Amino acid sequence: MRRGVARVHQLIPCFTPADAMGQAAVAWQRVLRHLGHTGTLYADEVAPEWRSLVRPASELRPTPDDVVLYHHGIASPLASRVMHLPCRRGLVFHNITPARFYEGTRLAEPLVAGRAQVAAMAGFVDVAIGVSQFNARELEVAGHRDVKVVPLFVEPERFVAASADVRMKARLEGAGRPRVVSVSRVVPHKRMEDLIALHEELRRVAPRAELWVVGGFAAGNEAFKKLKRRADAVGGVTFLGRVSHAELVAAYRSADVFVSMSEHEGFGVPLVEAMAAELPVLAFGAAAVPETMGGRGLVFDEKHFAALAEVVQLVTADEALRAKVIAGQNERVAELSFEATTRALGAALAPLQLDAAPRSRPASARRRLGIVVQRFGEEITGGAESLARQVAQQLSAQVDVEVFTSCATDHLSWANVLAPGTSTDDAVTVHRFPVRRARRIREFNRLSDRLFNRPLDFVSETHWLAEQGPDAPALLDALAARKHEFDAFLFFTYLYAPTVWGVPLVKDHALVVATTHDEPPLAFGAMRDVFEAPRALVSLTPEEKALVEKRFPKAARRRVIGVGIEPLTPDPERFREHFGIKGPYLLYVGRMEAGKGVDELVRRHQALVSAFHDAPTLVLAGSGDLKPSGTRVVYAGRVDEQTKWDALGGALAVVMPSRYESLSLVTLEAFAVGTPVLGNAACDVVRGQIERSGAGHTFTLTDDDGFRNAVQRVGSERETLSRAAKKYATQFRWDAVVRAYLEEIDLIRRKS
Amino acid sequence: MKLMGKDITPAKVMALVGERLAARGLSSPGDTELTPEGVEARVDPLSFNLRALEENADASVGLPLETHRDGVAGRAVVIAKRVFRQAGQIFINEALGRQRAFNGHVRDSYAQLAAEVIRLRQRVAELEQQKVVVAPVATPPPRVEAPSLTVKKPVLKAKKPSRPVPAPPSAPRPTTRRGK
Repeated sequence: MRRGVARVHQLIPCFTPADAMGQAAVAWQRVLRHLGHTGTLYADEVAPEWRSLVRPASELRPTPDDVVLYHHGIASPLASRVMHLPCRRGLVFHNITPARFYEGTRLAEPLVAGRAQVAAMAGFVDVAIGVSQFNARELEVAGHRDVKVVPLFVEPERFVAASADVRMKARLEGAGRPRVVSVSRVVPHKRMEDLIALHEELRRVAPRAELWVVGGFAAGNEAFKKLKRRADAVGGVTFLGRVSHAELVAAYRSADVFVSMSEHEGFGVPLVEAMAAELPVLAFGAAAVPETMGGRGLVFDEKHFAALAEVVQLVTADEALRAKVIAGQNERVAELSFEATTRALGAALAPLQLDAAPRSRPASARRRLGIVVQRFGEEITGGAESLARQVAQQLSAQVDVEVFTSCATDHLSWANVLAPGTSTDDAVTVHRFPVRRARRIREFNRLSDRLFNRPLDFVSETHWLAEQGPDAPALLDALAARKHEFDAFLFFTYLYAPTVWGVPLVKDHALVVATTHDEPPLAFGAMRDVFEAPRALVSLTPEEKALVEKRFPKAARRRVIGVGIEPLTPDPERFREHFGIKGPYLLYVGRMEAGKGVDELVRRHQALVSAFHDAPTLVLAGSGDLKPSGTRVVYAGRVDEQTKWDALGGALAVVMPSRYESLSLVTLEAFAVGTPVLGNAACDVVRGQIERSGAGHTFTLTDDDGFRNAVQRVGSERETLSRAAKKYATQFRWDAVVRAYLEEIDLIRRKS
Repeated sequence: MKLMGKDITPAKVMALVGERLAARGLSSPGDTELTPEGVEARVDPLSFNLRALEENADASVGLPLETHRDGVAGRAVVIAKRVFRQAGQIFINEALGRQRAFNGHVRDSYAQLAAEVIRLRQRVAELEQQKVVVAPVATPPPRVEAPSLTVKKPVLKAKKPSRPVPAPPSAPRPTTRRGK
């Protein structure tokens, strides 16, 4: 099959999250998506817990159109395999430490072997890339021609003061001054002994000087033990070892100067990180270091430790000098940006002519819209998914709508339940793609607990997203291959992989209905692709729009487009009879999950039941991993559309215990049949809907008295609230919604 | 020592540093010329691989003893490894005898193949050189002649295969792509 767009896979010898090559490959995957290319990251060695992000190299099966970018450093068996791959091949050279630093050790041979492999690959790659000019020159010496330079980048937003680990910052806060930090593994060519020599000189003029060394070390290694003895003798030296991203930021942000004594760097990512953390950099100008510094910071060519100690003192104490250095470094960080890398990689890959898809559609053609959503179908429970289906069906009268979705029906496991392939849902064409990896929800929840509410690096966030899923690579391939066939793509829900990874692929045609909630993943830097890259963001409520603007100051154009509500005629008696419900009842409709506040709601209700003999029954409708029970609790399970309207029509009130809602479709549906709503006061969106409508009350989810008061008030004011609800619901009409979406599609059409 | 940085005045900073050093009775660093570090030389894969195969062909010879462990545990591990090697060397030799023979064959086969690759590359280079010489000459349109009974000499006379050429210290680069 001739593909419209070739995939660009990446291959690395070994993936560990702390390794610069692995980090670069994960970051480049994002860059490649922004260039419109899909592809998978493969590694010869990858631990099982990382396999959602990086697949074993044994699974790499490229087609002849595909490109495999092989990242090379020290000798790897992959170098020989690459030469035989039946596809187009690229070499990304991260440099190899000269073997002279490791003479007499086991490492010397693989270092030389790595260089021999670079030379051997010269006739067998279609594109050769150095991550610095220095590396590019080495590639040329090794026999490669037309070598491109694609520099690495760091995201400065990840090194702001707010990203510093509070505990580490407090620990380092009391240290003496000046504080020098150096970030690298403790290995011979990094010349830690020179760092300690500088520190020794520094302590002659500043006895309370501190040196922090961040990076892994082998405690049993004889050279390290010698180094440690010397450091202990000098005093004020701390080997912090491997640290988390937030701890690294704390170290940068607590130090006065970053010093590198390394005698060989192919790029030097920590130099740029330190610059991004607004820390003056003093670096020995070895190999690619002067190039990476780009004339900024302070680069020296001779290790005169007494003079360097004075330079450290000056940069620490002279505010004007320090400010100048930092300002210049900020400019360098801006030069080494994501955008610069994207431009350079795009130019490097341009000769391969990867995008062979036709570029334009006739302007007169009927509008075509692709809808991307994680699950799709009548049987799916979920607000965003229901909304996606409703929008698809409403638009299908005037637009050719094709849906790109997974084969999953269950968002907890993403199990492939529905058949892959193309089907129709009324006038809507639905393409389903298999999910590569089922989710194990317990492990996933543990990962979430570990990662949430603290600053993370891009690799950790991407790992969480890969675990979050649904990981449907064929869905992304289809978007990339068919992007020119559609006027626009409408993505539903910011939280899932098809949106985060799909938006950059078609960003010039992307509209995102983010259904934003104020929850931990919204703080991920990786989400900038969802909120900043598309042509426009659709918010469902003013509260959601305000949240997006607060979190993403550079967000794309925003617009509030609600939904239309078309109630079925309810028959409450039919519902009561079917479930044996007598007397008034409160109704919850939605997913049965702790995250939705269902368990808390049941607790409040049970307190009400134990205090009042005439407390209303609580009816719970929906599916999920919770099966709540209790006195006067009726669990109805998943109900069909008519039953839902029957239930809504007869309820004393609908209860919305969730804190995270971007619209709360059920709230609007309840209003449409004149049923008031009791909403969690912590949820801005539901509170906003209730306040604007005057058709309900809010309560604090953890407060029994507050819940009781809200129920009592709704009981006494039901008639008034019901009238207000019906009046408010009249504004939610599909014709207005459809018109708004058509305007957005036409805007993209015109600009394209 | 040279200090570089666009955003500072290096001479001014170095003068300040010099003053401070002088106050401490230390001499200032000399004014050196910055010489950018040269890149590493090309490592010829064929000769490197051959040397690596030669050095590692004998599987019964152990690698240097190392451990990442610290302290007493680390020393104990190294001692244990040494004792195991000394005590078990004759069994190691026995167990790896066939592997040693196999490795020797791999080494010799690679050496022969490498020599052949080098010879073929040289031959390709020679032929390409001849093609470059011949190519600019405008070829006159073929004349229709009466059939001749004599056979004309070919323009490019194929060289007789020579004896295998020993590997030069730096082998020429491959001129083909994708292993064609």
